Amino acid sequence: MFADLKRLDSGLLQELGGLRQWLDEVMSDPAAADIRAVPRGSFPMINLARTDDAVRVYVFAPGLAADALEISIQDNLLTLRGERPAAPGDDERVEFRRERFGGAFSRTIALPDGLDGERAEARYRDGVFEVVLPKREELKPRRISVQAA
Amino acid sequence: MSEMIKQPARETEVAREQEPQERRRSALRPAVDIYERDHALHLVADLPGVTADALTIEVNDNVLTLEGEIRLAMPEGATALYAELRGQRFLRRFTLSHEIDGEAIEARLRDGVLHLRLPKKESHRPRRIGVQAA
Repeated sequence: MFADLKRLDSGLLQELGGLRQWLDEVMSDPAAADIRAVPRGSFPMINLARTDDAVRVYVFAPGLAADALEISIQDNLLTLRGERPAAPGDDERVEFRRERFGGAFSRTIALPDGLDGERAEARYRDGVFEVVLPKREELKPRRISVQAA
Repeated sequence: MSEMIKQPARETEVAREQEPQERRRSALRPAVDIYERDHALHLVADLPGVTADALTIEVNDNVLTLEGEIRLAMPEGATALYAELRGQRFLRRFTLSHEIDGEAIEARLRDGVLHLRLPKKESHRPRRIGVQAA
């Protein structure tokens, strides 16, 4: 499903993700970006999906313990805080590549309005946190039956 | 949800050659750490959402291939609102040097992090050369 979003991007820019990030930084973007938008590749990555009765937030945080992510909601802002220990640098280890994120992080993302933070639930599996935020009752889609005249 | 990129977990090299360009392009490149320690190379890869049975690790002609399908339990009828992780699978390849013992590679997957230990062949381990006093 999230792969489908790719079609929104130009294929070439998708290929040149790094270049695009650089361009974003160097050139002013005529289209307004979300004020809380982060550069690509920030840790942890976040996806949002919507169903009829809830919004689901997927937080890709491999290597985190289930209790190492602090999830808080205020109004429609979801804040994620935590820390992934950096790989220890010791004398016996010869480093060749270090691409994985290590250290403390804090991210805030704006959610659609009308979610019930009180009834939110979170699960962790295979390095992915899933936060389910139910929509408030009055905002759920309703079927309206048409009565025969 | 993206049924079109589902494929059998194992595929022959021939099939891999013929896979459509689009599918090749849709693979994500996982972040890795690589270091050497205790006569072995260690590779640590971030593969969130990949379960052990959705992960393929292959060594063929000195090329190590890591491929994992991201499996998220999503309800039917979900639509994407926003995505930073755009894709359904991870793929990354590395060329191994000859001193790696391809038969002795060990893999461990936990909380979406893969840890590979690639030991060096016995004959390629450094030897201390003692200098005798004249």
